[in-house]
Amino acid sequence: MLLSRWRNSILFRVILSTVAFTVIFISLLGAVLYTQISHGIYREKVNASVSEAESLINYDQGQLYATQYLSNLKLPVVIESILRPSNPSVDTAPREVVLLGSLLGKSDAVKYNAASNNLDPASIPTDFRKLVQKSSHALPLRTRVKYEDGSSQPAILVGSEITIPPGTPYELYYVFLLNEQVTIMSFISKLLLLTGIFSILVIGLLSWYVTRQAVNPLRDAAEIAEELTAGDLYRRMDVKGQDEMARLAIAFNEMAVSMQQQISRLENLSRLQQRFVSDVSHELRTPLTTIRMASGVISDNARNLDPAAARSAELLASQIARFEALLTDLLEVSRFDASASILESQETDMGELIRQTIDYLHPGDATEIRLHLPDEKVIAEVDPRRIERVMRNLVSNAIDHCEGKPIDITLVATAREVAVGVRDYGVGFSERNASRLFDRFWRADPSRSRIRGGTGLGLSISLDDAKLHQGTLKAWGRLGQGAHFVLTVPKSPGIPIESEPIDVDPTAGVSTSFLSFDEDDI
Amino acid sequence: MTHIMVVDDDQDLAEMLGIVLTGAGYEVDLVNSGDQVMPIFQAQKPDLVLLDVMLPGLSGIEVAKEIRTHSMVPIVMLTAKGDTQDVVLGLEAGADDYMIKPFNPSELLARIKVRLRRTPGVESTTLTIGDVQIDQVAHTIVSRGKTIPLTRLEFDLLVALAKEPGRVFTREALLDEVWGYQNATDTRLVNVHIQRLRAKIEVDVDNPQIIVTVRGVGYKAGSGE
Repeated sequence: MLLSRWRNSILFRVILSTVAFTVIFISLLGAVLYTQISHGIYREKVNASVSEAESLINYDQGQLYATQYLSNLKLPVVIESILRPSNPSVDTAPREVVLLGSLLGKSDAVKYNAASNNLDPASIPTDFRKLVQKSSHALPLRTRVKYEDGSSQPAILVGSEITIPPGTPYELYYVFLLNEQVTIMSFISKLLLLTGIFSILVIGLLSWYVTRQAVNPLRDAAEIAEELTAGDLYRRMDVKGQDEMARLAIAFNEMAVSMQQQISRLENLSRLQQRFVSDVSHELRTPLTTIRMASGVISDNARNLDPAAARSAELLASQIARFEALLTDLLEVSRFDASASILESQETDMGELIRQTIDYLHPGDATEIRLHLPDEKVIAEVDPRRIERVMRNLVSNAIDHCEGKPIDITLVATAREVAVGVRDYGVGFSERNASRLFDRFWRADPSRSRIRGGTGLGLSISLDDAKLHQGTLKAWGRLGQGAHFVLTVPKSPGIPIESEPIDVDPTAGVSTSFLSFDEDDI
Repeated sequence: MTHIMVVDDDQDLAEMLGIVLTGAGYEVDLVNSGDQVMPIFQAQKPDLVLLDVMLPGLSGIEVAKEIRTHSMVPIVMLTAKGDTQDVVLGLEAGADDYMIKPFNPSELLARIKVRLRRTPGVESTTLTIGDVQIDQVAHTIVSRGKTIPLTRLEFDLLVALAKEPGRVFTREALLDEVWGYQNATDTRLVNVHIQRLRAKIEVDVDNPQIIVTVRGVGYKAGSGE
């Protein structure tokens, strides 16, 4: 789903990538800032601690030496004052003191080994103690110190050697607790995190807003283009301001206007053309009526004519009939082209309609027509005039091309649709020709197709009739194996068909090459 | 001699119709424009009118309406357009039948013959359908004490239904019986004339009692009330 959104939406893509880059950038920036600040703060603290500790240690050492010369200054008292922890009201930062004998375990001289405030003397790392023992000046170390109750604190140790009279080496460690620094750093890190999240949100929103500014007109344009495509030629984009988007809108609208003009020009043209075809067909009817009646009068008096004139009268009559059929079909086609055809549906007995069609065509005895009707009556709400016309076309086509072989007519009905299949086993047609079968005036084989004087419009009209019913007319054919035409229409008008109960390919499963004709095929 | 009035603006077609109809033994009056119809109609009192729909002056549909206000004479429309609207308008205006150009002259003659036929000697002279009495000799119908003027076609249609009260007539059967068509599927003729007939004899046209529609099949004579 995310992937499809990523593909389908510029907005989504821009926001997601902007936010991703911002997160990376802000995290890096935050990390650098944090380390710089913490470095600065701790270095400062270390420097301050070292100088404070140095002066304290110097003073302590002085006091210790002084006990040798001043009788009122007792050594235990001095040591006790040394080991006294910081006084919050006097000192800037809390600190602890640890006094450790350097010769611990080697000499009895070590009397003092103590720390203030229950600090665990073991908190001083042995490695650091060795360094301090070797060094001539005070050394700092950042570490955590432990108390005897188990708690621990971050701290800076500053250690130095000190001598307690009469000359026993000790190490004195001042432990500066870093509580304040830790609080500051955690505050800073929270601040950085908040700033980061806030920046990401702001940048995300900003990118959403900015992208929308750019994408919205595009989206509008796309929507309007879709509506234009769907046929609403009056849709236009709103033109706001004078920026690039406005230019897009103006250009788009100009395109729509010119398209609309072109289309209406073409529509007009084709309307004129349809009108022309319709008018011509109508205008031809009156003279044709006169000609036909005249020909009738001549034919009635044919016995009084010489044989050549009599035969001419016969030809005249048959050609007038053909001309009339052509005119009728042309008119029907022009009606379809002008979308002026109306479906006049009524409940129709399909089996009866097929029987009537066969009766009407009264094929010679040479043609065997095998009817396959269901046992129950099939009643469908169709336009009987049109369906009968389709059936006449299909059946007379089959009769013309069956070459004496039988014709199978099958009627199948489902809950929603009715299908009629007309199958012959005659000449058939090649797959190459299949796509042109429904073209107007197209003939598969000019030498044979005029036997019955078809107009060449029959299948085209049949297809239009099927479509008017919201049905389908499909054709299958093989050279030398015959043809199969299947008409499928809904049982009730307006309820589109869902399936085709008769497969147009009678060899279904063996080899398929049936054609379906949709709106665009004509 | 039977008199037929031919109204068509196409002079050649009118003349040809004249030749064919004269050949069939009718007397023919040719009229070339709509506004000349009524004076000649009043003077000649034709037995049947062949009327082109597209006429200069007064259109064929208006002419048909005009004739119907004066006479119940059979009217057969001639039209170049078989489209529903044209045909239905003509039928509603009062035409009994229509022929689409180009028509077959023998078919035209057959139709004219059907429209002109007299009901041959009948067994029972009066029929009843609902509360309508039909006198087949006097060619009149009486409904609730009033005589109602019907065209001959409407009369024939009513008689066909009344003669077999139990039978349901399909539209095709009525086309065959009343119009003399065989294998015809154009049911507009039947529908329009049933409507016209109902408008004249039914008390409530929306709820017909005399001519009842049998859905999906056709029509039959109602029991009245």
